[in-house]
Amino acid sequence: MRIGIDVGGTHTDAVILNGDKVIAATKALTSADVISGVTAALDEILKQSAVSQSAIKTVMIGTTQFTNAIIERRELSRAAIIRIGLPSGRGMPPMVDWPQDMIEAVDAEIYMLHGGYLYNGWPIAEIREDEVNKTVADIAAKGIKNIAIASAFSPMNSAPETLLAEKILTAIPDAKITLSHNFGRLGLMERENAAIMNTTLLPFADKVVSSFLGALEKRGLNCPAFISQNDGTLMSADFVRAYPALTFASGPTNSLRGAYKLTGLEDAIVVDIGGTTSDIGVIQNGFPRESNVVVNIGGIRTNFRMPDILAIGLGGGSLVSEDGKTIGPKSVGHKLVTQGLVFGGKTLTTTDILVAGGHAEIGSKESVAHLDPNAVAQAKATMHKMLNDNIEMMKPGGKDMPVILVGGGAVLVTDGLKAASKLHRPENADVANAIGAAIAQVGGETERMLSYREIPRGEAIASVTKAATQRAIKAGADPETIRAVDIEETAVPYMDEGATRVRVKVIGDLAQ
Amino acid sequence: MKQIDLSHLKDLALGSVFLATGGGGDPHVPLLITQQAIKTYGPVSLIAPRDLKDDAFVVPIGNVGAPTVSLELLPSVDEAARTIDAFEAHVGRKVDAVASFEIGGGNSLIPIVAAAGKGIPVVDGDGMGRALPEAQMMSYAIAGVRPTPALAMDYAGNIATFETDTTEVYERHIRSFAMAAGGMITTAEHAMTGAELKRSVIPETLSFSIQLGRTLRENRGQAEELIGPLQDVFAPSIYGQCRLVFQGKVIDKATRIVGGYDVGEATIERFDGASTPLKISIKNEYLLAVLGERVIASVPDLIVIVDYETGTPINAERLRYGHRVAVFAIGCPDFYRTPEALKVVAPRCFGFDLDYVPLEDL
Repeated sequence: MRIGIDVGGTHTDAVILNGDKVIAATKALTSADVISGVTAALDEILKQSAVSQSAIKTVMIGTTQFTNAIIERRELSRAAIIRIGLPSGRGMPPMVDWPQDMIEAVDAEIYMLHGGYLYNGWPIAEIREDEVNKTVADIAAKGIKNIAIASAFSPMNSAPETLLAEKILTAIPDAKITLSHNFGRLGLMERENAAIMNTTLLPFADKVVSSFLGALEKRGLNCPAFISQNDGTLMSADFVRAYPALTFASGPTNSLRGAYKLTGLEDAIVVDIGGTTSDIGVIQNGFPRESNVVVNIGGIRTNFRMPDILAIGLGGGSLVSEDGKTIGPKSVGHKLVTQGLVFGGKTLTTTDILVAGGHAEIGSKESVAHLDPNAVAQAKATMHKMLNDNIEMMKPGGKDMPVILVGGGAVLVTDGLKAASKLHRPENADVANAIGAAIAQVGGETERMLSYREIPRGEAIASVTKAATQRAIKAGADPETIRAVDIEETAVPYMDEGATRVRVKVIGDLAQ
Repeated sequence: MKQIDLSHLKDLALGSVFLATGGGGDPHVPLLITQQAIKTYGPVSLIAPRDLKDDAFVVPIGNVGAPTVSLELLPSVDEAARTIDAFEAHVGRKVDAVASFEIGGGNSLIPIVAAAGKGIPVVDGDGMGRALPEAQMMSYAIAGVRPTPALAMDYAGNIATFETDTTEVYERHIRSFAMAAGGMITTAEHAMTGAELKRSVIPETLSFSIQLGRTLRENRGQAEELIGPLQDVFAPSIYGQCRLVFQGKVIDKATRIVGGYDVGEATIERFDGASTPLKISIKNEYLLAVLGERVIASVPDLIVIVDYETGTPINAERLRYGHRVAVFAIGCPDFYRTPEALKVVAPRCFGFDLDYVPLEDL
């Protein structure tokens, strides 16, 4: 048996899964200190199921704490940022397009050094030892411990980043360093942004992980604990102390994975309707379709692999115009319970329309009796049209696809959706995120530079896959269930002919 | 003389994405470097072509290479000005003003970076009035301006100079140098006198693009509400006609890379599903719009696809199934309707078996 917990900005959800079966579920408000909410949710599901702690083999946690810290500009530590790429990018320093309040929150020292590589493997410039020594000495003198390093084309040659890290650790043994090539993909500024955000979160990550583990221990849960990443796989809780930024967007991923688990549909559109937005995503082969555009987090461009989510301003608290023709994007959000008409407030919301139309019994029906029936009908039509139009936009190649409705606002869909080949409203849809966290799998990734002239392609890919598989097993995956989910081959020009960068990602179930 | 300051740049970038007719790439990095240049060196003077002295010395400047490379090999704030310095040393003459290759996309901004660094004006105009895929389609080349002497500079300040007879050969050589220099270079080329510029430039496109960007920003909303304000800015300009020719949903889009170009077709169906769908042919840019057998608009006139709800221009790479869009057709500047220009930019030059008919006559 395992526990899945999702700590969101407003709600903390928790479930116990016995194999595929949900045997306990709870949804509670997230507490200000986070941990007391988690502890309360744990107590609730343990009580509901009457399961003994020793029967729980693993705990999986999904959290938006690190995303929220960035968005709200809190818990961020002072950082040093080293960019290696001169003489390119003169006058274009790191954080050049960051929002001013975020620049102030990070209060960074910036260093720009010569070095880095071109797309074809030639050096941009030689590393200059005097520059390196001066930089390290300056960081040491200023007492900065959190450091991000980004070098041009480091996904293809990470040597400059590694070299700098070694020098820093020699001078500052307790430094915490984030290297940009660990955040993959091309796009120096976006990768550097990811590294800076990660580095500035490191002390907070330590605190959060310790308090999570503390809460589990206090409740007698001594099993391994994992935290879910943005791609739907798990990291050990301790790994998060070094890579908190990898949790960004794990929320939507868990919601999509949870919807998949609840219905068993490998290909479907998932519509998660909350208080302010409807988030439309796509599952393909049971995994979220990834976005291919730049993802903005707290006003900062990043290159994280994120689920492709279309968020539209339609939720249970969305404002409705008098004639019913315009809905959202403004919403009363969690103030619905005081500001909505049915709760005695003065604001016409989608929830009021639902009550006026006789589809739900929430609050006082009398307070919406005065609404014009035509406007109510129009508002319902507008809501359905918004969903249908946007679901159409997300359909891959116009294929007929089923739609899975999850989230508290799913009741807004009263008339079916013509964009859906079939509409599913699974049980436990309100805790889809926690279920998604509970079923998260273990991944392993390996990247090698190989020559197809020396090793035939098939053999080469097999050797990289084997290395990735071993990593996944080491991380706790069941060898029987491991499969390759992504094989990326990139020819490397102007090098030995046939030189290719091969990256393989495998995933498997967590071994029980 | 007008000025370009920080407050104009976002509008200019937005206007230039609209005029890029689906091509031109993401202007994010060019916009950032231009903002840095103006923060560092101050605002730039914008000079109307007619205000240039006939014996003034003008050189167009811009980037050549693979836009994706500049995601890692970042541009430098002084690179464009240093390119002009080196060009002046090479030809032994002071440059009085810089001009733009094409208003569509990031190269609308690079001359501003050069002008800021050098403290000289930028010409209010460009060599295309839109975006087009090849250098010989530039109005400067069509009007007979020689591509060389030309000079290219890489990120490290390394220099190559060029002497070629034709723009076609020049284009081939400059591309090889771009690859050898790391994938992205800055070039100064097609230098000319004020008198030559006056007969070869597509005038007023920089100030027009700022005005267009502002119009799109201030009238953000559904296409039916946007068309009025758009017509108000296009009608008195060098473009003239602006028509809202179609609104609907993209029901198919397929492109593939052929000879370095993104080639293919998009099909758009009316929202009510009625009548024939509109077909848009793509080769980097949107080049041809056909409804059944009827041509709605063709290159060199401009075809622009925007998001139906917001009026934000949609790049051809980003256009996909399900997008709810509006399609605008806009008359091209008169220069591109001359027989000399049509020799290189008529529909047949892009492989379409039809003669060019101006938008107003369709």
